[in-house]
Amino acid sequence: MDWLRRVAPYLFITPYALAFTCFIILPFFVAFGLAFVKLELTSQQPAAFVGFDNFREALGDPYFRKSLWVTVYFVVLAVPTTVALAMALAVGMQAMTQRWARNTVRAMLFVPGMLNVAVAAILWQWFFNGEFGLFNHLLESLGLPRLPWISSRALAMPSIVFMTLWWTVGGSAILLLAGLQQIPGELWEAASLDGAGAWKRFTQISLPMVRPVLLFVLVINTIGAFQVFGQTYLMTRGGPELATRSVVQYIYETAFNNYRLGYGAAMSWLLFMLIAAFSLVQFFVLRKVDA
Amino acid sequence: MKRLKRHLPDAIMAFTALSFVLPLVVMLLTSFKPEAEVLNPESVVPDDWTTSNYQHVLGWSEEAPFVRWLLNSLFISTTVTLLVMLFSAMAAYAITRLRLPGTKAFLGLVVATMMLPAQLFLVPVYLILSQLRLLDTPWALIIPATAGGFGVFLMCQFMRAVPRTIEEAALIDGCSKLGVFLHVNLPLCAPALATLGVFTFIGSWNDFVGPLIFLDSIRNYTLPVGIALYQSSYVTEYGLTLATSVLATAPLIVVFMVFQRQIIESMATSGMKG
Repeated sequence: MDWLRRVAPYLFITPYALAFTCFIILPFFVAFGLAFVKLELTSQQPAAFVGFDNFREALGDPYFRKSLWVTVYFVVLAVPTTVALAMALAVGMQAMTQRWARNTVRAMLFVPGMLNVAVAAILWQWFFNGEFGLFNHLLESLGLPRLPWISSRALAMPSIVFMTLWWTVGGSAILLLAGLQQIPGELWEAASLDGAGAWKRFTQISLPMVRPVLLFVLVINTIGAFQVFGQTYLMTRGGPELATRSVVQYIYETAFNNYRLGYGAAMSWLLFMLIAAFSLVQFFVLRKVDA
Repeated sequence: MKRLKRHLPDAIMAFTALSFVLPLVVMLLTSFKPEAEVLNPESVVPDDWTTSNYQHVLGWSEEAPFVRWLLNSLFISTTVTLLVMLFSAMAAYAITRLRLPGTKAFLGLVVATMMLPAQLFLVPVYLILSQLRLLDTPWALIIPATAGGFGVFLMCQFMRAVPRTIEEAALIDGCSKLGVFLHVNLPLCAPALATLGVFTFIGSWNDFVGPLIFLDSIRNYTLPVGIALYQSSYVTEYGLTLATSVLATAPLIVVFMVFQRQIIESMATSGMKG
């Protein structure tokens, strides 16, 4: 009985600790090991240690470099627009006069974020369809020429970014609104008395006070954008001419269509390092501004 | 004039909010149109209401067993949600209440791993699942999903804030540690557990990459990958794919309507700790 009393407390943490060890800690080390190994499930050969070969191959691989550019392009288009629009929506919601109306608007802005990526992608693929899509239908009824949207190299990525904006901006806006609502009311009153206009109140009070939340929103959006996959994969399959094939899609195809697991793992680490570097830079730059 | 200016944000925001929901309204209305009208719409509202798209989707077919996918999704998401709630609450109880050695460091490690991007885990988890012979089974999605740190972190935050006095009273009255956990801590943590449950369910229901990689046979698919397959095989039949989309989204919209406040409030506060 005595041993049971001593062991019992550990039983509470065992199920989670086991899952955590097997599916977070172990995969972390497996991912590390895989990156230095040549493991191809299509050949019968066992895994062989190859040092930094996978990384060297990735850095010289034009397809990997292309997917890297595509991903950075997505990040550069999507992150600033998401954060700026989220901020505008948050300020707009804060300026609303009725509490119930604000809460309703907040919920409505968030609803698209509840959709599965497959549903959102299919819906917008139809909107963007060149022949019978809704957007071209609208353009035509206004007497304007049709646009190729996601089937053109130039417009595909901006179109996907537009859909992503609709899909994800609500969550960020909710976070920023909560941040704005934390600012004590006296600050606004004092600024108004001093004759500060709306723009000045925004830049001098709202922005600095909301900076920690803004930083959080920026970092999570950046981390998410670097891992873009579902919407590009489903709307364009990475095309046209690889114009929207992201790094995660290339990793997916390498590891699970061509079964080159070692090479896939190495590219995962490279993407991870890129994400970590970007997050750290954002963190330090934004932290330092007010010092 | 002054009143007009004061209400300008109300008007702009109401218009914006409506335009965010509009695509979903279009999706719902279009799913009741016959295919000819989908491709050549006269108006957003169907001229000729029909449920044929839904009948076709819900009818049994080997290539696209929609009902089967729905049941797979329900089974996986429900199981994941229950396990995550149970495991997280138990672990948080051990960490915050039982004074085990090393639990603080453990929690630190859990929180640190939450920063790691999900894409890093795709290849190694696939390999581990294949060694465990779990690929192409629902457990390939269920078991790894219980390892995430969010639940434990959330429950620890909440349990720390619960006063110990009630538990101590129960212990003095001769209640066992297990009894205290079941009858005192769990009920007290009900709000946090509900939040965790809702978020876990939504996350699992909407997971796309997991089922895409870990499932192989069509009959084992979950809704998101099923819909994606459906879309690629019925490329131009938008009426059908939109009907599947509506059916896949409806359960979530119900969850959202019921827990709207909880979902949004906990989303809003998650930025404060950041």
